[in-house]
Amino acid sequence: MDSDPRHGSLVHTEEDSWDNFLPPTPLLADENPFSTMMASFDEAAKTLGADEDHFAVLRKPDREILVSVPVRRDNGSLAVYEGYRVQHNAGLGPFLGPLRIRSKLDVDELRALAAWMTWKCAVLNVPFGGAAGGIRMDKDCSEGETERAVRRYTSNLLADIGPDRDVFSPDVRADENVMAWVMDTVSTHARHTVNAVVTGKPTRLAGSIGHEDAVAQGLRIILGMALEHFGMRRPEMRVLIQGAGTVGGQLARLLHNDGILVCGLSDVHGALYNHKGLDVPAVLAWRAKHHTVVGFEGEAEPIANEELITLPCEVLIPCAIANAVHSGNARDVRARMIVEGANGPVSVRGDRILAERGIPVVPDILANGGGVVSSYFEWVQNRMGYAWLAPVVHNRLRRFMTEAFEAVRKVRQEHDVRMRMAANMVAVKRVVKADKLRGIYA
Amino acid sequence: MPTGPLVADRHPLEEEFNPFLSMAKGFDAAADKLGLDEGLRDVLRRPERELTVSLPVLMDDDSVKVFTGYRVQHNFLRGPCKGGIRFSPDVNIDEVRALAAWMTWKCSIVDVPFGGAKGGVICDPRDLSDDELERITRRYTASILDILGPDRDVPAPDMNTNERTMAWIMDTYSMHVRRTTTAVVTGKPFSIGGSRGRTEATGRGVMITCREALKKLGMRPEHTRVVVQGCGNVGGIGALLLAREGYRIISLSDMYGAIVNEKGLDVPAVLDHMRKHRRLEGYAEADHIENKDQLELDCDLLVPAATENQITSKNVDRVKARLIVEGANGPTTAAAAKILDERGVIVVPDILANAGGVTVSYFEWVQDRMGFFWTEDVVNTRLEQIMVKAFHDVDATAKEHNVSMRIAAYILAVDRVAAVYRLRGVFA
Repeated sequence: MDSDPRHGSLVHTEEDSWDNFLPPTPLLADENPFSTMMASFDEAAKTLGADEDHFAVLRKPDREILVSVPVRRDNGSLAVYEGYRVQHNAGLGPFLGPLRIRSKLDVDELRALAAWMTWKCAVLNVPFGGAAGGIRMDKDCSEGETERAVRRYTSNLLADIGPDRDVFSPDVRADENVMAWVMDTVSTHARHTVNAVVTGKPTRLAGSIGHEDAVAQGLRIILGMALEHFGMRRPEMRVLIQGAGTVGGQLARLLHNDGILVCGLSDVHGALYNHKGLDVPAVLAWRAKHHTVVGFEGEAEPIANEELITLPCEVLIPCAIANAVHSGNARDVRARMIVEGANGPVSVRGDRILAERGIPVVPDILANGGGVVSSYFEWVQNRMGYAWLAPVVHNRLRRFMTEAFEAVRKVRQEHDVRMRMAANMVAVKRVVKADKLRGIYA
Repeated sequence: MPTGPLVADRHPLEEEFNPFLSMAKGFDAAADKLGLDEGLRDVLRRPERELTVSLPVLMDDDSVKVFTGYRVQHNFLRGPCKGGIRFSPDVNIDEVRALAAWMTWKCSIVDVPFGGAKGGVICDPRDLSDDELERITRRYTASILDILGPDRDVPAPDMNTNERTMAWIMDTYSMHVRRTTTAVVTGKPFSIGGSRGRTEATGRGVMITCREALKKLGMRPEHTRVVVQGCGNVGGIGALLLAREGYRIISLSDMYGAIVNEKGLDVPAVLDHMRKHRRLEGYAEADHIENKDQLELDCDLLVPAATENQITSKNVDRVKARLIVEGANGPTTAAAAKILDERGVIVVPDILANAGGVTVSYFEWVQDRMGFFWTEDVVNTRLEQIMVKAFHDVDATAKEHNVSMRIAAYILAVDRVAAVYRLRGVFA
């Protein structure tokens, strides 16, 4: 399964493979994902000189909701699952965040994800706060059981969700069909159509044009700006892309069309390399047919997935798993720049090594933000009841990605910090400012 | 419900200097021209709803003080109510009532889908701490919450209230209804649902109105001498934008005095000086004169953009401008307006000329409802479309009824509201 950071998940691995779960930052025994994530934002707040009191509010989620989800199994028995929704901060607007369905679901991970969404929305300047939720249910559930669970979960949360309260976005196992069930449940209860309560809906059901490849389109825009910013544009650009699915595959296709040489491309089973550039359409066609890039019969050298990270290139774009670049291989990275397509593909220690080596990293929170922008566009169109055409969506996506990059660039230059820090600072600044303007409601 | 006589009959101020009286006269003249029956006149004269609330507020010294707040909704035939909230010791129900009606007409002229409202709290912000102001604002909001809402009544900043106040209102309302509701109030900071271009909106609207009026008179920019009274968000920005269009700004003023340069002022430099020194005094590239003399300068266009009652029966004979565009509210008294009209001087009335502010408030509400925010260019282009159309609508009405632009503006405004009244009928 390819990583799909469209909706802000911290980690995407094989469905439900908790054993393979790689948090975005290495966990120490006494750490949890939430405090690990917050540590880097604490640092950003300190560098900014943000108001201590106002930042303290952000260290805790606004609200956590636990609901019981009783579901009649297909065999007639009754199972009771647990559902959660963590709402981190609503200073900038309603909450937005993924709904995940997993057999192992950790509340701390949801807390981290909810806060992560707050920061991401702030960097991209979309008017949302962050949330994350999920249902802990077995992997072997049938579609009918899943539907009943999702509907019950939704109705238990009715008082807390809605277009102006909290908006769901898809995640692994919570695809566009699940979004449609949520929308239907909310609409049935409200007795009128409420489609803005979820994003990532099927296009026939008020989804937005372009949501399938929004992350890749956003990455392409950010890549272009980053190359300018770091003065790295060459007539012959060589890039390596880890991941060939929703994000990596789409991005490879876009960059190939731009005349950039995609020299390496991988999926979970293996990788391909050709220093003169791969025939991307042929590779993707092969993958569509065989469900893997392995065995591709065109001009390419089959290599190991791990090997891809350390091959020579201008830009390495890891779009698959968390911690793809880690303390073990960061010294051997030969790329001159890294753009994070996945969430957390560079580990904290790996990042430190890259910093010492002077290799710029364009952080996930900025680079793969095309997903939340697309979610936002869908919500806007639903609220207006008017759907934009493809060119409108593309122009506006470009506007949001460009403005986000510019904001990060400005802070980076002002404070002489790395891109990741600058992005965190932009996020903290915006959220703290909104909270401050609104004041503390008493 | 109010049953007493209207403001016009009992306001304590001297007749000529009562801007509400001139509004009531405008309404009556328009109603006569339109031949409105007495029943409809009465409907349009009275506020739909008035709410008076007592606001107990915990002061910083632990004492409790009770303030009085008002919200008057004049008319919501054309849409939700729209109007400012002011904090001032001078707030009184008569004034609030009159200003609410004024907003109905203003929204109608620029054809934004709102009715008029106004609110206020009797308090002196100079004596209050920030915390006290916040508590007053939140308590006031909570007390009038039932009649507020994006589809009910949408407040905006006014005297002594600003974007920070609006943020508190938005937050209080959102917490009560338990969902983000940015569209409940306009004039918010950009980061929580404000609009680009709002600060300059009134000044920009004044510029657009001036430009359209001058075009109508066939005056070329480089030959047009403009005198602007005022130097703030309306006068200063209006002058700056007019200068950019190529008009010759020969005079500007602040509270303390005026500056003149026949060859044309360097407006950006003047505003720079103003920013640095907080007053025009000491600006080198111009002569300095007294405020009262400024209005009598020989010029083509006079833009009183400071305060009310500047052109009166006492000085109107010495006013030489061919065209007056009212940037401020009520700068020309009714008596002076009559004399100007007889002399053939065109006066573009306040309710048209300074409606740029409410127009961009409308844009803010629209953007909040869709959750998508326009760039400054888009805001300015749309403001231009609305102001240009409003100007020509009023101009056409003036020709049709052979009246001054002021009376035409009221005719247009009242007619639009009356038309909706006939369509919707009386709800029983």
